[in-house]
Amino acid sequence: MKDAPILRSYAVLYLIFLYGPIIILPMFAFNDNTIVSFPLKGFTTKWFAEMWSDPNLRIALQNSLIIALSTATLSTVLGIFAARASVRYKWPGKTAVVGLIMVPLVLPEMIVAMALLVVLLSIGVPLSIFTIIMGHVLICMPFAVAILTSAFQSLDRSLEEAALDLGEDAWSTFRLIVLPLVMPGIMASFLITFTISIDEFIIANFLGSGKPILSVYIFGQFRFPAKVPAMLALGTLLVAFSIILLTIAEYFRRRGVAKTGGKNSGGFL
Amino acid sequence: MTFSEDKPVMIEFRDVHKYYGDYHALRGIDGTIKAGEFFSLLGPSGCGKTTLLRTIAGFEGISSGVIMIDDRNMAGVPANVRPTNMVFQSYAIFPHMSVAENVGFGLRRDPRTKAEKAAAVEEMLAMVGLTGYGDRAAHELSGGQRQRVALARALILKPKVLLLDEPLSALDKKMREHMQVELIKLQRQVGITFILVTHDQEEALVMSDRIAVMFEGGIAQLADPETLYRRPNSKQVAEFIGTMNFVPATILSEVGGKVEIEAKGLGKVTLDETQSPPPRGEEPVVGLRPETLTLLFPGQTTSERKVDGLIDEVIYFGDMTYYDVYLGGTDVEVRLSMRNVPGRPILDVGTRVEVAWSPEALVLFR
Repeated sequence: MKDAPILRSYAVLYLIFLYGPIIILPMFAFNDNTIVSFPLKGFTTKWFAEMWSDPNLRIALQNSLIIALSTATLSTVLGIFAARASVRYKWPGKTAVVGLIMVPLVLPEMIVAMALLVVLLSIGVPLSIFTIIMGHVLICMPFAVAILTSAFQSLDRSLEEAALDLGEDAWSTFRLIVLPLVMPGIMASFLITFTISIDEFIIANFLGSGKPILSVYIFGQFRFPAKVPAMLALGTLLVAFSIILLTIAEYFRRRGVAKTGGKNSGGFL
Repeated sequence: MTFSEDKPVMIEFRDVHKYYGDYHALRGIDGTIKAGEFFSLLGPSGCGKTTLLRTIAGFEGISSGVIMIDDRNMAGVPANVRPTNMVFQSYAIFPHMSVAENVGFGLRRDPRTKAEKAAAVEEMLAMVGLTGYGDRAAHELSGGQRQRVALARALILKPKVLLLDEPLSALDKKMREHMQVELIKLQRQVGITFILVTHDQEEALVMSDRIAVMFEGGIAQLADPETLYRRPNSKQVAEFIGTMNFVPATILSEVGGKVEIEAKGLGKVTLDETQSPPPRGEEPVVGLRPETLTLLFPGQTTSERKVDGLIDEVIYFGDMTYYDVYLGGTDVEVRLSMRNVPGRPILDVGTRVEVAWSPEALVLFR
């Protein structure tokens, strides 16, 4: 690398373009000026207070958390079933079924959202938080299944046979051996699906029928220039929250790796 | 070797077949394994030896036939209630548990108190030479230590049968030889029936009371090591176990189990019934092991029969020298081995020699 100054500057520029805008967020969130522009004026926390004083935000946040937690839980649990079935067992139509689970990955989300809306309305299901959760589970499943499949694949089958051999039944083997060993995968799946769900906009907008959801709420607030600094404050909090979440996940991942003596390769941080 | 003769039967196979789809993995296994026996399933990869072991453990069902363990039919008996425990090829040490937790895993459903269980774990660790390792994490162990943990974990339930799936294949040569001896000692100490799967004929010969040699899903020969080595019942078994020379032969007469043959380069020999396993419709050949042939050095005489030879190749092995020798002026070439004792020269290619041999060492395959 020392001998490739162009490549090195390219890499540095690349990272600045990627993460630079995110640094703007806290900068203006603490800036004592309604207009988002340089030069910075003075330090203030009033945007955070203003943001928090809006009751709609709190409802939106609550709704989003319910949706994201439910989506993450559902898609991870369903992902465990699907990944386990696809890794361990042979059954007719497996390739097709697993393929169909993965399709939303390449399907335009707009189309998924429209199709779901049309179907739900035509069969008379009222739009609610629940319909958003269903939509989110649909688009999160490919991620959960991909992560969990690789977790299950790295599990030595003879570990399960050893537990069976030592007197455990299928369920206790799963609980005592399989579950602890794929736990890092389960955590990763939960966190990623949570993240996908909490900032998802299209499905939330289509299937939410105007219910306050965080992403929809933020988009709405951006129409009013006066509200922008408060939204930047909210964004700052979300970034901080993401970093904390990733750090926790990474801590557990490393602890898991250390405990099982694997080599620490990859990870988030 | 009569060790196994008078022992009660521990495992019995009756016409066991196993299909994977169209693939016929086990093709009619019959035989018995005696209580307290060190039994080996020996064969090349793909011969069905691991499949057979896994049907005993209950990890694989069988397509037809009967497997009896300790007079109980194992049909429909799942792995977790069979009186067998297994040492896996990969050892399958639970990576998220300590050594003691691994060894004590099988005691989870045991009604004993915690302290009694801990004592049992300590006892097993002591037996495999791992006293004081209980608190170690599984991944801190070396290959040999993992193997011992796997052994202790399988033996703590005092199974009637211990199944070992190529347990030594992951170890280096020195460690493997060391563990072979340890396993034999351990087996004598606990008195449990051991069934070992291996593709290493030397390992099987060293460790076993009896060996089943398997080819293509069937047992080719089931015998003690000495019989297997000295009296293989087919050319295939003879080739798989050690080295054997094959010399073309013609059958002259056959009277009451005695077979008179003319072996090319060796002359007329009469073989008894132990030297003449059932015919398989092959071209007749006699087999003889390299160490049953002796080069006569100048001045040496022999009470055995002898034949002229011409040295074609010399292969020096340190403790041994292998000679490839043409027999009796023919194009029949055999390999013979001579121990390199002090004062014995290494002969050169092209030397004319005499080779002593014994009719007793021959086996006829036809």
